[in-house]
Amino acid sequence: MSILPQLIANSLIAAGTYALLAIGFNLIYGATKFFNLAHGVMAAVGGYTVFFLTTTFAQMNVVVAAAIGVLVAATIGWGLDRVVYRALRKRHASNMVLLVASLGAFTVIQAAIAMIFTSQFQTLSSVASEQVFQVAGASITETQIIIMLSAILVFALLWIFLKTTMFGKQVRAVSDDEEVARIAGVNTEKVLGWIFFIGSAIAGLGGILIGFDTGIQPTMGMELLLKGVIAAIVGGVGSISGAILGALLLGFAENFGIWKISGEWKDAIAFGLLILFLIFRPKGIIKS
Amino acid sequence: MSKTQKIVWWTLGAVVVVGLVAWGVFRNSGSSNVIKIGSIEPLTGGAAVYGQPVQDTIELAVAQINAAGGINGKQVQMIYEDGKCDGTDGANAAQKLVNVDGVQAIIGGFCSGETIPAVPIAAAGKVVMLSPGASSPALTGISPYFFRDYPSDAFQATVMGNIAYNQKGWRTVAVMEEQTDYGTALTNAFSKSFEGYGGKVIVQAFPSATADLRSFLTTLKAQQPDALFIVTQTPAVSDDLFDQLIQLGWRPPLLIGDIISGDPAIIQKYSSQLEGAIGATFLPNASDTAYEAFINAYQAKYGGVPPYQNYMACVFDAVNLLAAGIKQVGYDGAALATWSRTVSNWPGASGNITIGSDGDRAGGDVPIVIHGAQVVPYVAQ
Amino acid sequence: MAYLIHLAILISIYAILGLSLNLVVGYTGLLSMAQAAFYGVGAYATALLMVNMGWNFFAAALFGMALTAVVAFIIGMVMSKFDGDYYALASLGLGVIIYSIFLNWQGLTNGPLGIPGIPRPNLFGFAFFDNLSFLLLSAFFVLLTYLASRFIVNSSFGRILKAVREDEKAIQVFGYKTLNYKLTIFVIGAMMAAFAGSLYAAYITYIDPSTFSVNGSIFIIAIIILGGLASLRGSLIGAVFLVLLPEFLRFVGFPDEIAAQMRQAVYGLLLILLMLYRPQGLVGEYKL
Repeated sequence: MSILPQLIANSLIAAGTYALLAIGFNLIYGATKFFNLAHGVMAAVGGYTVFFLTTTFAQMNVVVAAAIGVLVAATIGWGLDRVVYRALRKRHASNMVLLVASLGAFTVIQAAIAMIFTSQFQTLSSVASEQVFQVAGASITETQIIIMLSAILVFALLWIFLKTTMFGKQVRAVSDDEEVARIAGVNTEKVLGWIFFIGSAIAGLGGILIGFDTGIQPTMGMELLLKGVIAAIVGGVGSISGAILGALLLGFAENFGIWKISGEWKDAIAFGLLILFLIFRPKGIIKS
Repeated sequence: MSKTQKIVWWTLGAVVVVGLVAWGVFRNSGSSNVIKIGSIEPLTGGAAVYGQPVQDTIELAVAQINAAGGINGKQVQMIYEDGKCDGTDGANAAQKLVNVDGVQAIIGGFCSGETIPAVPIAAAGKVVMLSPGASSPALTGISPYFFRDYPSDAFQATVMGNIAYNQKGWRTVAVMEEQTDYGTALTNAFSKSFEGYGGKVIVQAFPSATADLRSFLTTLKAQQPDALFIVTQTPAVSDDLFDQLIQLGWRPPLLIGDIISGDPAIIQKYSSQLEGAIGATFLPNASDTAYEAFINAYQAKYGGVPPYQNYMACVFDAVNLLAAGIKQVGYDGAALATWSRTVSNWPGASGNITIGSDGDRAGGDVPIVIHGAQVVPYVAQ
Repeated sequence: MAYLIHLAILISIYAILGLSLNLVVGYTGLLSMAQAAFYGVGAYATALLMVNMGWNFFAAALFGMALTAVVAFIIGMVMSKFDGDYYALASLGLGVIIYSIFLNWQGLTNGPLGIPGIPRPNLFGFAFFDNLSFLLLSAFFVLLTYLASRFIVNSSFGRILKAVREDEKAIQVFGYKTLNYKLTIFVIGAMMAAFAGSLYAAYITYIDPSTFSVNGSIFIIAIIILGGLASLRGSLIGAVFLVLLPEFLRFVGFPDEIAAQMRQAVYGLLLILLMLYRPQGLVGEYKL
């Protein structure tokens, strides 16, 4: 049936989008064991930084703007940890406290973006239509290919980084058991700071690419966060490769669900998937 | 601190709070040689793109009236409340205008969502409501205290159903429905009309926060409909939808809702995709002198033509129509409500206005088509 | 004066919601983010029965509570497998699913069009048509809810709940079937929220799905966290504070567009500050 290639392509594109959010989320969860809801708004931060740069400095190279956007998102994520989460961790605050605090952070940052840039929808790409490729009977744009490639690339780089470098070993040590890692001499606070930095950077990148694909608005963080959380948990809490798997599962479930069940239930399908996994396999596909 | 001190502080705090709120609320009580008219529109939130120009247009009309001496010698003062296109806020706004500010008339709401809950509140307070933009069919005949100078969406749907089935000969129409009160009402009305003729309607509905519409479109495309009806309200959604239509390489014959046809930015940006798209909208006669005068005055005051001109012309007329009513029967809600049903062929910038016994503006939408990034009347071939 | 009455009615409705959620979150330690869903079930049941079948408000509200009890029982059973932040996420997901039902099941709920024209309550011929009488009615029910809540928390049942919150495993050792206790309080809380929904529907005379989304649940959580968990007075104080907050901001004179975002920013900031410096809220007894 001719619809299949396009549906598969749509699923993969969606999976790429979700993966970019889920990877960072799982990285942070793996190390801190709490659900950082503020993760979603880092995507908006990235997107809006690029928007600000490209509209204020017309000659700025898009790639440079994107790099700065990623850095800004990373810094804000790191700053949030430094200012808020670290203090809570010192107090041995429960996960629920951190969750509520992260919810507060999400709300504040989103409101700040809306105040500075207005709630208007904006597109990042300056061309009304970009190049569309035909691949195996499906249409994909350049940006969408970049999204999918970025997800794979980020995953690969992160995986290698975590497996081979000294820092990666420290990250895994902290993820396994923070107390023990500290006793073993790892500067856990510094490692955690870097984890927030990297995780938020990836989210920022996601927001920028999504901005090029479907535009930005201050509230974009919530939707991305929710889908990213579903992908992250379903794939395997705390697992980077789980994030990719979860994103794929979610992407396919949603898009094929639109085809078979009426599209208006798309969100219910996504959350239904979450509930199913929470009931039957709460650690996700990949138990880390 | 001791228990007594705590109690004292809490009581003090409570008194201060109540006092502040009461003061903030009561400082609006004004003098009686102005006519205070209320207004509800979305001043913040996603629909502010409409609400802001609505407020500007009202300001323009009021400035003109006041410059000419006001109504019966009294100056007009508008009190604006933010309805946010939302039911609770619309109800809150109506509560404040009716019970605190004591207005006798309200121009608003603009969205149906903020208007529907406000009507019973206005009616209870014997305040007349004139909406310049709420088009939900649910507002027809809702209350003797409500009338509107913008036509109901039911007209739009009937016109398009007729063209689609009888003139274009389409038998299956796919609909992309954004789940807002506007989108759902219009889709339902169109389905009723088109299916009434014997046609088939397939719908894909989605909430406003959806950015990825590809699979919705792909699914509809696979069913090979004769045409695609796009019923979206949020600019973000419209933009993404057209973008993705282009990406998927799908160029079906298009039907479009009046919010899209009233948005010059979208028409400009996607002029190629929209070429030949058919809609039905309330289209003021562009060569009408009153209409031109309004556009020119707006441009002179604000430095640019108004957006969503078909709506803004009705907003402009609403103010002047209400002023005419006040001149005739005095500033009293009940009297104005009765008077509203007698409005017949009142000349406005948006054309001649006649209000039916159900409060609806008689005569509605005309079919239009997009040609060369312009909205022009549709001529049957 | 009339506007103050209007605000007082809103405060009453949110006070009941706050009390209902505090029983579940503050006293039992279950961070439920689905309360707005039960609020909605009560509102829709009442609205539909009154508008379509001409039922009396009190009968419709009772039916609404009964229906919500059934729904809450089912959801509570599903949720019984989770705790801590997993509980929060699962409840979030279920809340989204119920919201989707409100939005998509057009044949029943009218979807985004909502249900207008809900009549005011009528008791033996006395119609609570003017706001002052409605305020007295809702204040009466706040009192009722408060007394019922106080009865529950001071009883031996309430002591078990607090024990569950502090250390569920320990109390299970003593032979208490904690599942039954958690389920019961969850259903009770849901029924109270449903009644708040009935009041809301009859007051505003119009309902649509947007009031009962995840954001609604987050608002109720903010009320009880601010007011103080495990404090009934706290729920009342939280409701007063958060309902009046936008009025303050409007009074301070922010431009409209900024004011709406400012309100969100203040919520978020409050959540962060509370978690950092006063997790027990204004007058609470339980730190998350």
